[in-house]
Amino acid sequence: MIEVVDIHKRYRGRSVLNGASFTVEKGQITCLIGINGAGKSTILKAIMGLTPLKSGTIRIDGQPMDKNLYESIAFIPDHLTMPPGMKLSEGLRFMQDFYQSWNANRAEELMKFFSLDQTERIGNLSRGTAAKFNLVLGLAQDTEYVLMDEPFSGIDMFSRGLIAEVFSSHLIEDRGVLLTTHEIGEVEHLIDRALLMKDGAICRDFQCEQIRSEEGKSIVDVMREVYQA
Amino acid sequence: MKMNESWTDVTFNGRDPVYLQVVRHFKEQLATGRLEAGQIIPSRRELGAMLKINPNTAQKAYKEMEEQKLIVTEGNSPSRITLDDNLLRSIRSELISDAVDAFVVSVRKIDVPVEELLDIVKQKYLESNETERQVQEGGDQA
Amino acid sequence: MNRYLKLVHMEVDRFKYILAGLMSLTLICQFGAVIWWTKSAVSNRESGAWNNGGSMAYSLNPSHNGNLSFTEVISNTQFLFMIPILISIGVLAIYVFLIWYRDWFGRNTFIYRLLTLPIARRHIYFAKLTAILLFIFGLVSFQLALIPVEKLIFNLIVPSDMRDPSYISNSIYANPALGMLIPWHFDSFLVYYVIGIIAVLVIFAAILIERSYGRLGILYAILYLGISAFLLLFPMVGLGLDNLNGYLYPNEIFAIELVMCVAVMAVSVWLGCRLISKKITV
Repeated sequence: MIEVVDIHKRYRGRSVLNGASFTVEKGQITCLIGINGAGKSTILKAIMGLTPLKSGTIRIDGQPMDKNLYESIAFIPDHLTMPPGMKLSEGLRFMQDFYQSWNANRAEELMKFFSLDQTERIGNLSRGTAAKFNLVLGLAQDTEYVLMDEPFSGIDMFSRGLIAEVFSSHLIEDRGVLLTTHEIGEVEHLIDRALLMKDGAICRDFQCEQIRSEEGKSIVDVMREVYQA
Repeated sequence: MKMNESWTDVTFNGRDPVYLQVVRHFKEQLATGRLEAGQIIPSRRELGAMLKINPNTAQKAYKEMEEQKLIVTEGNSPSRITLDDNLLRSIRSELISDAVDAFVVSVRKIDVPVEELLDIVKQKYLESNETERQVQEGGDQA
Repeated sequence: MNRYLKLVHMEVDRFKYILAGLMSLTLICQFGAVIWWTKSAVSNRESGAWNNGGSMAYSLNPSHNGNLSFTEVISNTQFLFMIPILISIGVLAIYVFLIWYRDWFGRNTFIYRLLTLPIARRHIYFAKLTAILLFIFGLVSFQLALIPVEKLIFNLIVPSDMRDPSYISNSIYANPALGMLIPWHFDSFLVYYVIGIIAVLVIFAAILIERSYGRLGILYAILYLGISAFLLLFPMVGLGLDNLNGYLYPNEIFAIELVMCVAVMAVSVWLGCRLISKKITV
């Protein structure tokens, strides 16, 4: 379980995170929802130790973030983070060299699933293809948790469908997935749990199917309540 | 394969619990004959992948269908649709009943006598059948 | 250790084309200069222009008997020799900054990937440092290796009866730029290269400060550069090294300078490692 407890962060004089707290359980797909600049990406980066926090704690299975935990938690940022001069095959090789949790078979499987050409250079990829390769780099690791930042942003419709398929396949099963998105339409029926962010904190935290059963509301309905109040 | 055609064409609305929508979808497939009694259905994982839903949701749908005795799982073999005729008939009635309920609710707002209503329904229904038949014939000729 | 080496390999690999380019440039300029000047000098002598006392007046370091020596060649090709050296120094100086900044700017911020590798973050710092050092010493070694080959080329062009012998060591110092790269005295060597390394360490620390502190980062970084420069220069300049009646003995001033160097180095390395481990932000 990833526990985020009362985190605070200021950036350029503004309070980006103001006491956000939540947990991410394994075997569930959790989604952070919020308007642009709400701090969703910042939370993911804070969990990964890519940006420091003013206060608050983040624990992963009870431990604070540590270099070895990078083997258990994969981060897929909203853009591809590999040098443009590298070929795709070299990128895979790089990951294999550094991560014990790297699963080369799954990497091959995913490369085929997304129809990616290993000899292509990273700098030459289109946005959609880069997003797919980004997913490969994150999902081919045998981690317990996967963090995804805006996996659908700027992707064409057909690629989105392909990416959405990944969520329903065995690749996600048993893992704790935390993603952020604007494209709530793509994930409305895929996620287990929604966390709505407002003013730097989590203001609604619910299980989606429960809200549908008990209140007959979709996630978008709840969002309307929260953001247009 | 006929089954694949039916599975990939599901769109989910956001307001009803997804797992219940899956169950309803199964029932619809049964009623239209695309799914047959006793037919083997995909495993939870495969279902999730085919329908593009969360594996947890597929799991829940399975559980619900098992509870409603819509599917039967024996030991480790793959699940299959029930062979119970009574149940299958009652599903058909249930679907018709649900559709009619929805229709009645929406048409009640308009104050129309029942006989006139039934005439219109019959007319529309026959028209719709005719259109579909023409589409099929047109398709055959093309 | 293994992972540190992998990172070093990656850093070197990313720069290999530029490195090869610099080496090629050096080779082409210097070989070209040697060949061109030597050939024209030889043909001058052969055509008898030398005996007419005319055209060789422009040569530096000529032998008095009309023969050619390698030293003379080096003296007369200084400009062409220096160009690739200066370019290499310029490129490396820029890369001391770029080796970090290239990972932040541009479409693919590789720093995200580096910071989330399952390794101690100080390895990233040391890998980049090692790479820079390898580039510096690699280029210097390459230059050193070129000189005997240049002498060989000279020997091939000039017939033996026209040649004057010269020691390679003398030849090298006929070109001031080469003389600085490959200093004769060990302490000069130490001074140039150690100062260079300290500069790299201070710059690395300043870069990491800039990257850790948002908008104010650049100010803090410049402040750090200023303070380090002051601490390093003050003993030599401010304590009256040039003043015969100064308060401190020269040896004492040197000792203070040494302490300053060690202190600035140690603080820069410590600061660099600490910032990248705890304070850095993408």
